[in-house]
Amino acid sequence: MDFQVILNNFGFLFFQGFLGFGDFAGGTLRLAIPAIVLAFPLGIIIGLGRLARTRWISFLATIYVEFFRGVPLVMVIFWFWFIIPNLLGVSLPEYGVALTAFVVFEAAYLGEIVRAGIQSVARGQVEAAAATGLSHTNTMRHIVLPQALRNMIPALVTQFIVLLKDTSLASIIGYIDLTKAAQIVNNREIRPFELYLFIAVVYWLCSYGMSRYAGSLERRLSAG
Amino acid sequence: MKQVLRVLLITVLLVGINESARAQTTLEKIERTGTIVIGTRTGSPPFAYVNKNNDWVGFSIDLVEKAIVPVLAKKIGKSIKVEKKESAPQTRIPLLTSNAVDLIAETMTDTQARRESVDFSITYFVTGAQFLVKKGSPINGIKAAAGKRIAAQQGSTNARIIRERVPSARLVEFPDQPAAFQALVQGQVQAYTNDGIQLAGLKAKAPKPDEWVVVGEFYSYEPYGMAMRKNESDFRHLVNVGLMDAIESGRYFEIYEKWFGKKGEVPYPLSAETKRFLQMQVVPK
Amino acid sequence: MSYQFDWSVLFSGQSGSWLLQGLITTLQISALAWLLALVLGIFAGSFRTLPIGPLRWAASCYVEFFRNVPLLVWMFFWYFGVPPLLPQAVQDWLFDHGAEFWAGMFALGVYHGARFSEVIRAGIQSIPSTQFEAAVSTGLTIAQTYRLIIIPIALRLIIPPATNESLNLLKNSSVALTIGVAELTFQTRQIETYTARAIEALTAGTLIYLLLCLCIAALVSRLERRFAIPGMIVQMRAE
Repeated sequence: MDFQVILNNFGFLFFQGFLGFGDFAGGTLRLAIPAIVLAFPLGIIIGLGRLARTRWISFLATIYVEFFRGVPLVMVIFWFWFIIPNLLGVSLPEYGVALTAFVVFEAAYLGEIVRAGIQSVARGQVEAAAATGLSHTNTMRHIVLPQALRNMIPALVTQFIVLLKDTSLASIIGYIDLTKAAQIVNNREIRPFELYLFIAVVYWLCSYGMSRYAGSLERRLSAG
Repeated sequence: MKQVLRVLLITVLLVGINESARAQTTLEKIERTGTIVIGTRTGSPPFAYVNKNNDWVGFSIDLVEKAIVPVLAKKIGKSIKVEKKESAPQTRIPLLTSNAVDLIAETMTDTQARRESVDFSITYFVTGAQFLVKKGSPINGIKAAAGKRIAAQQGSTNARIIRERVPSARLVEFPDQPAAFQALVQGQVQAYTNDGIQLAGLKAKAPKPDEWVVVGEFYSYEPYGMAMRKNESDFRHLVNVGLMDAIESGRYFEIYEKWFGKKGEVPYPLSAETKRFLQMQVVPK
Repeated sequence: MSYQFDWSVLFSGQSGSWLLQGLITTLQISALAWLLALVLGIFAGSFRTLPIGPLRWAASCYVEFFRNVPLLVWMFFWYFGVPPLLPQAVQDWLFDHGAEFWAGMFALGVYHGARFSEVIRAGIQSIPSTQFEAAVSTGLTIAQTYRLIIIPIALRLIIPPATNESLNLLKNSSVALTIGVAELTFQTRQIETYTARAIEALTAGTLIYLLLCLCIAALVSRLERRFAIPGMIVQMRAE
């Protein structure tokens, strides 16, 4: 064990790999945060779509969800990497491809969280709203969604943890995230134990911190 | 959004082809953007890797920047930037066909099967598959690999040959070099097979280089070429002219010395035979 | 589009048998890992609901430790980190008998066991505490109560989320290719290298995963209806 290798390459691993500042296209947080922010609105549309009364809308939303939940993320990343340039005739940078793939993929999972959140709002609420004369859209907007969103927060944080760990798969298309940065250093130094231990600790701190946060939110919400 | 996406996916899956996307040749693209995008590796020293200062450098990158780009720039009449993207055995051909990169410059072996999908430049490096083993190992060549645990790189031509010629060997394929080397160090496998030059690179960088030996005759022939999209002979000609000029003027050998010379990253002297072969590929002006 | 499709590569040469081998390996490693994950998940999940401090603490440590680090890292840990700790004879035996498969299986099983346990814990906590009190008051010990009453009910309640987790496990088995397990994604890439046909190979792999997941989901939803406990599962259906 010789942790000198971590110290020597800390700047590359942390700033380039984890945060995404540097000469290469990369960064774990630079991918994970925009991905969840952009995937969330799409997830709301899909979640609402699955509950829509119009048949074909709920059908399309269901297909979307079932398709992306039935395919490994690795495959989705490959698809975007190869197909977008073929169809559009322009090549997207790695960052664009990875971000699009994650947004599209995560939206399917977020859609399910949104759906469960909406369904967790008591039936009586909807009926009461309808009884006061609110339209379906207004009921959704003013009564159901605000409560559903609140119920969803813990699940969203959990999904973000999953996303954060999944970004390691973007390394397949040459996106330099924390895992890839460690691999690059390892290619040169051949110190797998120290490097993988280091990134495991970084991931662990982030994930555990956030899951504690999600837990405390859950408790506060269920109490409130 | 989702419908659009779904329709796109299904269109591609079922119908497949429309002829709208590809409107310009590689040369036109380079002229328009002033950039050539190359696909290369981050972990194949000394051909292409990220060095201690975290710069992306290597022998094949130097060849592009110092031999090919000047020729292209002269032809087009303006200076050209080089943009690097990572390519791997599994992604490099799709990278080309999807226009994401214009030239693959890494440890890619020119084969007949690959020539069905892409075009290659003249050969710019020659090597062959060997084995890396612990000093004193009984494995001394491909025949001795029978019944042994052998590591290879996923998607390499070597893995394929071992599987065909020594079916009794227990082949374990790893996605990258460090994983395979780690398995060799710990004894998960008894030998690691790859192109001789890559094994020499690995040995040179290992914590204790003296513990390892590269053994065996070349059991395959691995001529490295630079790959391009098919049927673009103008572009391919310029790439070849760049390489041929460099070999003829001796600049190629300067670059070779920098990476493979006695003081280079991986000492790997050029044999007289290989030098002659490279020179014979140069056609008269 | 510059790409010329050639679907025949999937049916010529060895492609078909590779895909089949890959599929079998994926199913084997997933099935074994699933069993391991289920056992670990049931124990850890139950322990975390027990009023016994040390057990709860041990289970929490296991869960938090394993589920918060990417699976990719665990693959390396089980394949490279664990064998040197074993006696030489065991190491040699393992290396001769597909160490990468077993390491991959453990990585998947232990990682997903931690995630399963969360599902099972939620299931147990959703059972009204009156069930527990009633069981104990009839003279059952805590262990018997869990074995005979709580866990059987919990397992039925958690079928939907547990199915999701199981499908995640199946899909995550693709990460095992990083330590050289020749599963489905590995074979998909193999076809690509032999034939230089990326999109066709990718399509084949994607479709196989998709079909597999849809079949399992359909099978489970039939099981779920069969094992439903009247009055305890609120069927949630889209309007």
